[in-house]
Amino acid sequence: MRKALFKDADVIAGSCTAALGVYITLTASRWEVMGADGPGPGFFPIGYGIALIILSLILIFQRFTAPLTSEAGAAFDWEGFGRAAATWAAFAVSALAMQTAGFYIAFGVLTVFLAGFVFGKPLKTALLTGVLSAAGFYIVFCLALDVSLPVGILGF
Amino acid sequence: MDVLSGLAHGFAVAFEPANLMWCLVGCFLGTVVGILPGLGPAATIAMLLPMTYGMSPTAGIIMLTGIYYGAKYGGSTTSILLNMPGESSSVVTCIDGYQMARKGRAGAALGIAAIASFIAGSFGIVALSLMAPPIAEFALSFSSPEYFALMALGLALVVLLAGDSLVKGLIALLLGLWLTSIGTDLFTSQSRFTFGQSSLLSGLDFMVVAIGVFALSEVLNSIADKEETQLLPVPKGMRNLLPSWEELKACRFAFVNGSVVGFIIGILPGAGASIASFISYGIERAFSRHPEKFGTGVPEGVAAPEGANNADTGGALIPLLTLGIPGGGTTAILLSALVLWGVKPGPLMMQESPDVFWGLVASLYIGNVMLLILNLPMVPLFAQILRIPVYILHPLILGVSVIGAYSVAGRIFDVVMLAGFGALGYAMSRLKFPVAPLVLGFVLGDAMERALRQSLMMSQGELGILFSRPISAVMLACAVAVLFLPLLPRFRALKVAAG
Amino acid sequence: MNRRNLLTTLVSLTAALAAAPSAQAEFKPTRPLELVVHSGPGGGNDVMGRALIAAIEEAKLSPVRIQISNKVGGGGATAASYIADKKGDPNVIGIFTSVWITNPLVQQEASVTMRDLTPISLMVLEPALVAVRADSPYKSMAELMDAAKANPGKMKQSGGSPLARDALVRTVLQAKTGGRWAFISFPSGGERISALLGGHVDMMVIEPQEAGELMRSGKLRALAQVADARLPEFKEIPTLKEAGFDVPNPPQPRGVVGPPGMAPDVLAYYVDLIARAGKSAGWQKFLREGLLEEKLLAPKETAEFLAATETQMRGILSESGVKLVR
Repeated sequence: MRKALFKDADVIAGSCTAALGVYITLTASRWEVMGADGPGPGFFPIGYGIALIILSLILIFQRFTAPLTSEAGAAFDWEGFGRAAATWAAFAVSALAMQTAGFYIAFGVLTVFLAGFVFGKPLKTALLTGVLSAAGFYIVFCLALDVSLPVGILGF
Repeated sequence: MDVLSGLAHGFAVAFEPANLMWCLVGCFLGTVVGILPGLGPAATIAMLLPMTYGMSPTAGIIMLTGIYYGAKYGGSTTSILLNMPGESSSVVTCIDGYQMARKGRAGAALGIAAIASFIAGSFGIVALSLMAPPIAEFALSFSSPEYFALMALGLALVVLLAGDSLVKGLIALLLGLWLTSIGTDLFTSQSRFTFGQSSLLSGLDFMVVAIGVFALSEVLNSIADKEETQLLPVPKGMRNLLPSWEELKACRFAFVNGSVVGFIIGILPGAGASIASFISYGIERAFSRHPEKFGTGVPEGVAAPEGANNADTGGALIPLLTLGIPGGGTTAILLSALVLWGVKPGPLMMQESPDVFWGLVASLYIGNVMLLILNLPMVPLFAQILRIPVYILHPLILGVSVIGAYSVAGRIFDVVMLAGFGALGYAMSRLKFPVAPLVLGFVLGDAMERALRQSLMMSQGELGILFSRPISAVMLACAVAVLFLPLLPRFRALKVAAG
Repeated sequence: MNRRNLLTTLVSLTAALAAAPSAQAEFKPTRPLELVVHSGPGGGNDVMGRALIAAIEEAKLSPVRIQISNKVGGGGATAASYIADKKGDPNVIGIFTSVWITNPLVQQEASVTMRDLTPISLMVLEPALVAVRADSPYKSMAELMDAAKANPGKMKQSGGSPLARDALVRTVLQAKTGGRWAFISFPSGGERISALLGGHVDMMVIEPQEAGELMRSGKLRALAQVADARLPEFKEIPTLKEAGFDVPNPPQPRGVVGPPGMAPDVLAYYVDLIARAGKSAGWQKFLREGLLEEKLLAPKETAEFLAATETQMRGILSESGVKLVR
């Protein structure tokens, strides 16, 4: 089992989904709910929007009725979260960079970053991993399979 | 021509050396396409179509169809090894397949997937060859109310997927329903929840969502927990790489379930292999003696959906060949291939082009055997992928995820959405929300809303249409039963305590 | 009729080409061309795009490879905005269809209209048939429309999006006859036909190629053609006008467009390429097998056709109660 994030995780999650439910219900209520020909585009979203609000409130309420489990009180693993967040940020940045740098370069740099920074490998190993992975992808997906991938200003 | 002489004629055609070779080529290409993301069977068939103009229609359709069902065999590989669905019909396989791999049973899971595919695939083909025309008539009796009931049954099964907290499972399901309604409303062209983005007009793609919440979030989780060196243990020795007798025995019911459910849902043009795999997984769990173990790596959880998506092939070919009606993108391109060769799929095809029809059917039997022979020896080989150190494997998974998402529509937007769903999946697993109901809601929600609105338009707003039709009524009753089944033991306990 | 149209078009095209100033540098592509379609593999535009490429390659008309590029989604919006972003790029063209015209009219997010792009050539018009199940009591268009009028709201038609041609045909027929029936949307052609064959709906506006085999085997009956003149393959079926319903026929055009700001020599190159491809054996076979009506138009006429169609669609859509945003 993965470690839980916060002590009051359910309350925070429940508040977020409740807010989403309110947003869905309000947005959907501007659309036709029941038209001449049958249910309109707002019919279904209003239904699940309201259900989402109710369930979220139950979730929040449960937190105050049920006793805290021992595990829920565990300290938050900031270090692990930091590693995941760094990985995610690197991934997101490389996705955005693909438009100008192209897939293979962005992917190679991402690999170097992950191997070197997140996994703490020596720079030489990281660089080698990045170059070899990118080259491997190029051989499989570009040369062998002709899959079209984002092309950068350098032409690949 | 009756069935037996037709089949005999078909085997004579399919065993011609050239046809046999094209069948092998198609099955092999299909397996490769299924394993690698970025190339779906539909795109591959479209790409190879011009090359088949010079071939005979029989050889051409045998090869292209081989790609179609071969891809379904290959799709489970990355689901099991990397928690990364190779095809949309292999998404459910992630749930138990990847957990089996985590327990060191990767080889067994791959083997079970291949065996289930073979058994259920063969069942679908036998059913196709024996009773294609009557089955096609039966499929036509299915209308929107029946589709609604089918989707409702599928959603009821979500209760069983919920895990520890029913409330959290239901919230995840509703999130899935919301995500699937993003885009243009089919009935009115009203755009819903698009935030002014033209890229969202067509909605979110299922593969982007599934790869995000399964593969990407698994990478983030594993990095956060510092699961160092090797991702998963790979036991040594051939025996540990193949399914054990106990595991196969546990799958007996799953083989039957996958075959029947996959075939029946396959013949419906409005459903498809991903829905078939979800429903058969749900049924497997509903009838299991240990439902609480699902999601922790039980072999039945791999056998049922993998069987269903292969039995689906035989089903999906029925409306295509007997009525000329394609059920999805891949069968649509097979249809246009047949038309280009001058073979006209339809009620008269069996009589007018017996070579093509029966040759194709016979080649399916042969192809299924070929695929089993192709796939089983590869199992130990694939399991070695897990020996790659994580600092190499994790970036590789990320790269493959990007290719999978980008190739959906060829735009960076989907890769950005993929990152978003990766974060969502990570947050959900940390907050202890199950992701399977979200994915299920995403698959079924759209079809369910559509079927409900179509039904009510047909009946001019009368809800009675959902309950007055026999098939629909029975399925809705099953859905209610499924919802209250888990409460039964508690109810009994109460009675015992009171009595 | 078609042939004469084609001939005149070709003559005028050749004349236009001959008249082009010879001093101008001629464009010849050196990089692979990208042909953008808005549907996934197997969809209507994708099939047409691949057939066009196959015909061009078979007749060896292009010095470079042409790749299909599926920019799926948004009813053409994704593909249209992709082409609009490639301003001045000589290596990108796309295949348009009627949703590229109607979609921007009703969707705020679909901001690229056909006027933003460079029309190259209209290529085909897809005819359609009004079909019922073979055992349906309605033997003619008049009987069907009378029944719809007698039972307002009771009858049903299966179709696609409310912007698609089948929905527009319903709108013009309803306006003409005063009848009213439900239009039930299904996402795929297979589901629409299944609903009709299963007897769950009463009628459908169907493409001839989808209907051909089902009519031949006696499962469907066509009551009328949505076309200006009878198709050679369906000589015995009257057009809507001949059946007594003189309504405008909403067209289903498909053709080739380029990005905005296309240089004249580039445009001339593509016009010539498409004109030759249109004559090729492979393309003619595609038209025959798909039961399509050929309609090759030069860029200027294509632009006029698109403008006229837009005006017509605008009228029909607002009549059917769809809210227009542009």
